[in-house]
Parts: sequence; C-alpha cells; structure tokens
Amino acid sequence: MISDFAFLIPILPVIAFVLTLAFGRRLPAGGAIFSILAIAGSAAISILIFLQIYPHGEPIHQSMPWFSVLNFGILIDPLASVMLVMVSFVSLLIHIYAVGYMSHDPGKPRYFAETSLFTAAMLGVVLSDNILQFFMAWELVGLCSYLLIGFWYRKPSAAAAAKKAFLVTRVGDVLFLAGIVLLYFNMIKLDLPSGTYLLQFTTIFENVSRIPSGQLTLITLLFFGGAVGKSGQFPLHGWLPDAMEGPTTVSALIHAATMVTAGVYLVARTFPMYLAAPDSLIVVAYIGGFTALLASTMGLVMNDIKRVLAYSTVSQLGYMMLGLGMGAVIGAEAVGISMFHLISHAFFKALLFLCAGSVIHAMATNDIREMGGLLGKMKVTAITMLLGAFALAGIPPTSGFFSKDAIILEGAYTFWQSTGDMLPFFFSAAAAVLTSIYTFRLWFMTFTGKPRSERHAHESPAVMTIPLAILGILALVFGGLAVSLFIPFVSESYEHELVVELAPLGGYALGEIAHAGTAVQSIPIIAGVGGFIIAWLIYNRRLLDMSRIIKSSNPLYRLLVNRYYLDNLFTDIIGVIITHQLFAMLGEWTDRKVIDGIIDGISGFLIACSELLRKVQTGVVQNYATAVIIGVTLIAISINIITGRF
Amino acid sequence: MTDYSLIIPEAVLSASAILVILLGLVLKNKRSLAVISAAALLVSIIAIFVSGKLTGGSEELFYRTMVVDPLSQVFKLVFAAVTLLTVIASIRYYRDHPNQDEYYALLLFATVGMMLAASANDITTLFVGFELASLSTYVLAGFDKKNAFSVEASLKYFLIGSFSSAILLFGLSLVYGTSGGLTNIPDIVKFYSENPAMLTGAIGVITILTLIAGFAFKMALVPFHMWAPDTYQAAPDVVAAMLAAGSKKMGFVAAFRVLLLALIVAKVDIRFTFAILAVLTMTFGNLVAISQRSIKRMLAYSSIAQAGYISMAFVVMSPLAVGGGILLAIGHAFMKGGAFLAVAVVTYMILSDKKDSQGADHLDNFAGLGKRAPVTAFALAVFAFALAGIPPTAGFVGKFVLFSATIETPGYIWLAVIAILNSALSLYYYARLVKYMYVLPPAGDRISEPIPYVAAITLALLVVLIIGLYPEPFIDWSVSAANAIGVR
Repeated sequence: MISDFAFLIPILPVIAFVLTLAFGRRLPAGGAIFSILAIAGSAAISILIFLQIYPHGEPIHQSMPWFSVLNFGILIDPLASVMLVMVSFVSLLIHIYAVGYMSHDPGKPRYFAETSLFTAAMLGVVLSDNILQFFMAWELVGLCSYLLIGFWYRKPSAAAAAKKAFLVTRVGDVLFLAGIVLLYFNMIKLDLPSGTYLLQFTTIFENVSRIPSGQLTLITLLFFGGAVGKSGQFPLHGWLPDAMEGPTTVSALIHAATMVTAGVYLVARTFPMYLAAPDSLIVVAYIGGFTALLASTMGLVMNDIKRVLAYSTVSQLGYMMLGLGMGAVIGAEAVGISMFHLISHAFFKALLFLCAGSVIHAMATNDIREMGGLLGKMKVTAITMLLGAFALAGIPPTSGFFSKDAIILEGAYTFWQSTGDMLPFFFSAAAAVLTSIYTFRLWFMTFTGKPRSERHAHESPAVMTIPLAILGILALVFGGLAVSLFIPFVSESYEHELVVELAPLGGYALGEIAHAGTAVQSIPIIAGVGGFIIAWLIYNRRLLDMSRIIKSSNPLYRLLVNRYYLDNLFTDIIGVIITHQLFAMLGEWTDRKVIDGIIDGISGFLIACSELLRKVQTGVVQNYATAVIIGVTLIAISINIITGRF
Repeated sequence: MTDYSLIIPEAVLSASAILVILLGLVLKNKRSLAVISAAALLVSIIAIFVSGKLTGGSEELFYRTMVVDPLSQVFKLVFAAVTLLTVIASIRYYRDHPNQDEYYALLLFATVGMMLAASANDITTLFVGFELASLSTYVLAGFDKKNAFSVEASLKYFLIGSFSSAILLFGLSLVYGTSGGLTNIPDIVKFYSENPAMLTGAIGVITILTLIAGFAFKMALVPFHMWAPDTYQAAPDVVAAMLAAGSKKMGFVAAFRVLLLALIVAKVDIRFTFAILAVLTMTFGNLVAISQRSIKRMLAYSSIAQAGYISMAFVVMSPLAVGGGILLAIGHAFMKGGAFLAVAVVTYMILSDKKDSQGADHLDNFAGLGKRAPVTAFALAVFAFALAGIPPTAGFVGKFVLFSATIETPGYIWLAVIAILNSALSLYYYARLVKYMYVLPPAGDRISEPIPYVAAITLALLVVLIIGLYPEPFIDWSVSAANAIGVR
C-alpha cells in the first residue's frame, strides 16, 4: 500500500538536507542532485496517494502517541492531498530551475540544503494530523524562510529583510500559539475519554460544537492572526515585498507558491471551527478582500519586477482568504474554491517569478525601467511569462480565470445575494481590474518597446526554460481541465453532515450558490480584458504620457509609492519607536539596573560574608578546640529544645 | 562457622602492609613497594566484588564483632579504590623518597582501619578501626617532615583528632555503661529499642551528644570541621586526596551504622539538630570556599559543603535518602580524590621547577591550564562540574537522588531548597576555577603531565562519568546498603 510510505514524504527531503550539508561541497551543482531526487520521490508518493484518494477514497490517517494527550500523525484527506502534490511538484520544478539560476553562486550547498529542509517542513505542515505538529512544522518553515531571505547575508538589505520577515511573522505566530493554548484548555475541559489525542484535528472537529462559541471565535481569530502573518495579509503584509531580497527561486518557492499559502491552508485545515464561528469568517473575508484591493493599488506603481509580483502575491492571497470567508454562506464549498485558486495561483505565480528570475539572470537588474524590448531576445521567457500574466489577470481560458471567477461569482456574489453585503464583491472586482493593469504594465515594460539600457540579454539555459514551459502549460490548462472536478473533491474533505450541523451554530444559514446573470458573469472577463487594454494603451501604445502623472508632486502617487505610509507606521513607529525604543530599552534598563543590581548585590553580600567567615579559621588549635566545645553546647541546647526540657 | 573468605580484603592489605615494611628493611630500590601495594589493593577490590555481598545478604564474623553487608562492602570498595588511586599517583610523587616503605605501609594500614570501621559490628571494633585509621593518617599528613606547614597541620590534626576521639570514646563508654555492658551494636540497638528511656534521660542526651560530636569530627561537619582546611592544604597532595576522599567517608559509614540506627529504633527525634548541622555545614563550606585562593583549601571547604549535603540523609532517613547520601559519598570520593590529584600534578610540576615555592596551588597557577596541561585541566573541569552537581556526572546523580528523596519527604522541602541554593552558590567557585583554566591566558609553558598521575586521574574521571552515565548499579548498591542497616 502506498499509504505505508506516506511518512517518507517529509523524511526524504530531510535526508537530502543532511546529505547536501555534509557532502554538497564536493559534488557538482552543490549537491542539488540529492534535493532533486528526494523531492522527486516525495512528489511521486504524493501523486500516487492522490490517485488513491481521488475521487472518493478514504483519507489516510496514521497516528502514534508522543506523550500524554499529544500525538504525532499523518492526515491526508483530499485537502491535504492536492496541497501535497502541488508543493512537492512545484518545489521539484523550482529545484531543477535553481541548478541553472544558482550556477554562479558559491553558496549552492547551503542553498539546496536549506530549500530541502524548507520543502520537508512545508510538507510537514500539510500532512500534520494535529495542530501542535502543524505549529512545529509551521515554525520550521518560518525559520527556513528567514534563512533563505537572508541567503545573501552579507548584503545589509537582505539581512534586514530576513529579520523583518522573521519578526513580523512572529507577531502572527505568537497569536497562533496563544490560540493553540486556548484551544488546549478548552479541549481539556471537555473530559474526553482517556487515550484521546486532544489536539488532533479529527478530535477537535468532532467536539467543536461543545466548545463555547465565544471561546471558539477567539481561538479562530487567534489562528487567523497566525495566518495573517504567514500569508502577508493586512496589516502584517509589509514583510513580503521586502522578502524579495532573497534569490528569485526562493521567492518563487516560498514567497509565492508554498509558504505564504500556509496561512490560507491553516484556515482551510481548521475550517469546521470557523464554520461554527462565522463571525471569524466574516473577519477573514473582509481582511482578505481589503488586502486584495490594497496590495493591487500598490502593485501599480512599483518598478522592481519582483516587488510587483510580491504585491500581486499579497493581493491573490487576499482573494483566497476572501474565498474562505465566503464559507459563512456557502459552507465547505468555500474551501474548494479557495484551494482551487491557491493551486492555480501556485502554478502561475511560480511561473511568473521564475520568468522574472530568467529576466534578472539575463539583465542583472530588477528595475523594469531599465528593461524593454526583450521579446526578441528571450522568446521562451517572454511567451511563458505572457501565459502567466494572462492567468494572473484572469483572462480566459487560463487557469487564473477559472479560479478567480469562482471566488468572485460563486463566493462573493452569492454572499452579496444572500446577505445584501456587496463589499466583498466590490473588493474582488475592483482588485481584478487593477491586477490586470499592473500585470500587463509589467509585461509590456519588460518585453516590448525599445531597450532602455545597454545590457546584452540572452535566453536562459534549458534547465531553466523547461520548468518554465511546464509551468506555462499548467497555467494555461490546469484551470479549464480541473474546474468541475477539483472543487467538489476538495470540499469533500469535510463531511456534509458536519458542515450542516456546524453552520447553524454561528447563526448563519447556508444558502444555495446564487446564479448570476450574464451581465454579472461577464464582470471578471471585462475586468481582466479591460485591464489588459488599458495597460496596452498606456505602456505599449503610449497614448498617455505617464511621466506627467508619475511625479512626486502628485499626492496619490506619493501615497502609493510610499505604500500608504503603512510601512512607516508599522516599522518605524510600532516597531522601532514603541517596541524597540520604549519596551526593549525599558527591558534592557531593568535588566541592567534592577536585575543585575540585585544579582551583583547578592553576590557582593555573599563574598563579604565569605571574607568575614574565613577569619573564623584562625589557625590556632586552641580556637579549634573551643569551636568543638561550642558545637557540643549548641547540639546540647538543640536537643534539649526538641525534647522539651527548656 | 566463620567464612574467612569474607575478610580477604582486610587480610590481604594487612599482610602486604607488613610485607612492605619488612621488604623496606632489605631492599635498596624501594620503587617496587608501590607495585606491591597497588597489587594488594587490586586483589582487595576484586575480593569485594567476588564476595557477592554488594547487593544483599549480611554475615556476622568473629563472635559477632564484624559484619559483612552491602553497606560495609560499598564503602570498602570506595576506600580500596581511593587508596589505589593515591598509590598510583604516589609512584611519581615519592619515587625517590627514602622512607617510602613506611609511607605505603601507613597507607595500607589506614585503609585497613577504615575497612574495619565500615565492617564494625561492635563498638570496640569500631573504635579500634577508627584509631588505626586516624593514627596512620596523622603520620601521613605530616609525612613531608621537612615541610614546616605539613608538620604543623599534622600536629593540629592529631590534637583535635585526639580531642574528638576522647569525646567519642566517652560517648561509647556511656553506651557501655547504660546498656549494662553491651558492646555488640545490634544488641545495643535492641536494648535501646526496648528501653527508650535510657536515651531520653539526662545521661541519654549526653550519650547522643558525645556520639554526634565524635562522628561529626570525622565527617567534618561545622563547627567540628576546623581541622580539615588546614590539614588538607598542608598535607602532601596525594595524602590530601586520600584524606578527603577516604578517611572522611569512614565517619559517614560509622555514623550510618551506629547513630542512624540507634536514633531510628529509639525514636529520638533529633532530625532538627541534624538539619541545622547540615544547613550550617553546607552554607559555611560553600560561603568560605568562595574567598579561597588556594585550590586545595577551596577543595577542603567544598568537601565540607559536600559533607553537609550527605548529612541530609540523617534528617530525612528514608531508604532513598540514605541511599542517595551513600551514592553521593561514593561519587564524592572519586570527584574529590581526582580533583586533589589533578591539583597535585600542578603543584608537583611547579615545585619540581622551584623547590619550596610557597602557594603552589594558588588559583593564579591554574590560569590557562587548559593549554598547559590539557588532560589534567579537562579532568579537573569535569571534577569541578561534578562537585557542583552538573550532569552527566556522579555528583549530579547523587545529589539528584538525595534531593528528590528530601523533597518527597513531607516537611523538608525547605531543606532541599537550601541545598539547591547552596549548589547554585557552589557553582561560583567551581566555575571560577574552570574560567581560570580555559578562559585566562596561560601562566606559563606547557607542563608535562607525569603518566602515573594521568593514569590515576583518568581512572577517577572514568568512575565519575560511569556513575553519571549509567547510575543503575550504583543506585542499586547504595539503596541495598541503606536497606542493610535497617532504614525503613
């Protein structure tokens, strides 16, 4: 049975991590072969398991005790299986691509070791069967992200970005951990039969209805705090664009396709809890929708090719969150549509990043103002990136169209129809237009027009272009092929009865998916194509001279290019002034003056006592004999006290 | 029928001690005497293992004047092993000494005395064993007779030692008198359990008092400890190792056998007195050790502190606590013995450089020892950490068992807290020594480490680490020893 080998999925990359660290230096390509073979193995097992589960197979659940009420285990249901396949497959392609991309870097063994460890940790997140193991893998993923963002640690900006990413996501992680602790205490109170693993997802879901609803809302909001940090949602989105300081392959793997989606996966994984606390789901929806729109406006003005993509990642993650939030009215279907977008986004965003990497590899710059006219020189890159751009902009028939369409229409529109609240729909539709504009702005500025600098670009080697082609094909056809099968399959992760039973707890009634009229149905298409036309007119035909709008005297431009001053608010004011200068300095002062003072005082006192007492030792034998007499007297007194004679 | 095989350890040592003296009269080259002594000790150790009494069974010998049980065997093992270490190290220290025949004979006689005390089933045997060991060690402490300090220390040790022996003897005579002429320890214990009034009356109090004072001197409990720092510091290094590691334990084994048992059966609750003694001893020892610059003196005070921890067993009196006390005593013998021998390497090399240099064991001489004498420094660092009670060493295991037994006993958590705080305090001077050895720049060139010393230190190091890493059999022996003396 292939399921007996499920444990190998995360173990193989761990072995590769060890081998690469130990022997990578002596092997060609820095020992990439270990990572590639191991991850290929993981991918193969994942695909076989997926085929076993699909379409109606039983989920794989293996578990062993850790200690007390905790356990280690593997849970592969439809939700986890699609995620496993995506993570291992995309990771495999990116590892192959990295052989070419990192070929000139002396730190290759470290790179491949760390990406292997990352892949192992990410796969660990996906197949955890309990929230604590999930959290441990989640933290390990964060550590790898930190290490890889700061891969070029000698570059100050990279080191700073790594630190920022670590600290900002830590805010979320602390909330997540607090949520786990709170959940644990609630589970203990339930008096479950001994031998039950308290933090196992299945145990939690079976007992969701017994946890007080206020507690549940708090727990799910805390979990969502973790998701906000990891998935770069407002207000903790600031680290993700800075994280682009790492190698582009890292951005593609960690900060586009896999790790940043862990937050979305967390909400999807614990979806029954959210379903029973729909107030949290509404928060998820609003934060997601708002982030989608906010990030897309910032993407409009960025000139760094990777930063544009980073903002688009933030924005698309917002869509996924929005999709999950719609679960308040469409139930488990929300997991299906959100995960559908997650997977299709992973393909096309990894593709876009790898294309950007190819361009950067050729041009040795990130600035799209210095590019232009690359279409003739880099045909494969240009065409695959165009496919990725179509997908990102949601233009039919690419996969992005189908997945985004599902969120906007089946999700946000149904929500509007059944609750009368049109804000999520507005967010998603407006963001779709802006997404299309900045995506094609990027493509036109990079590949068309006249070259704006004197660099000699060349197409990348086959080891890089073949993964591009594979991802390009996936970006093109995945959505269309899978749309009718994927969503029901993943939604099946949560049994229908469970959903029906839980949803009324929060006071929201599940409705039928609303059927939008033709006019509404065409909105996503109009948004995508409209954005394309606007970008074409401005950045290709040059109908509008942007230099007259883009200048520092334009307050709107200033606001956008300074990212709404949010970074200044969060980093400079909350981070530096309040946390560092106020709390950290206060802590340091306390440590130095108060704690150290107490310690020094104690030690000074003891040393003084010591100096005093050593004088007792006079070296005179008569005194020693006296001491013996004193001792005898003291013992006599104490015995008499005890026996009650005094 | 007396099973004579059970006294092979003592018999072999006594015979070889006499042999060593006789050979010393005729031999020109006396270096082989060390080998004879070492061989005798090795035979003795093997005989103890072969006796099969380490984990259970007890047998009385010679008209019930001696007893062989786990308690006696465990301590005999420690005495023989520590003397063996001392002998190995002395091969170099007294290589060309003209009177080394006397030295080795005295060492062996001291060991026999300690073993006798460990096996004593009769207060007369006990006192004879005590005195045999004490008289031998008085001489050994002043064996470097041209060194004025050594002689002075020896004299002080003798004076205070005799004083305490007199007190102890007085106590024993009171026991003899009140019990109507009994000398056999089990008989005495039985007598007191039938007539508890004999221990709670005025004479009884004086009896207990003098016994405690007498044993406390041997165990070096504060305020009966004053001889220890002077003696340990000025005695020859190898002798100091033996005194600290061996002869002190004799006080403990005798106290376990007589005092503990008598107190248990007679239901005299003087736990509080011992609690005060234990707290005083560990706190005083650790505090004063902080301000010592002479390493031997520091080790002497640390030894006093350890005695304080071990005497917690008299307070708690549960099998696990007494077992823990015994285990800590065993571990301490090797940690402290090894530490003194490591110090001996340094002083030996400094003195062989410059005769009669004062304060060879000053802390400053240990600066950068990690570079000057890597093996010695490493071993000394491990001994220091072991004395502080850091895993994976014998010191940790002993303290762990003893302290946890104390915590488990209702009403004595405060004692465990004080002991743990003391352990933390002790780290101050142990860590300072390690800092000197590994952080500070070397105080001189590399020292050559004499092989006999290294061999002895390595042996001690191995024992300390083996007890730390695989404590099972040692805990077993210690708890059997505690059970053997009837601790419930």
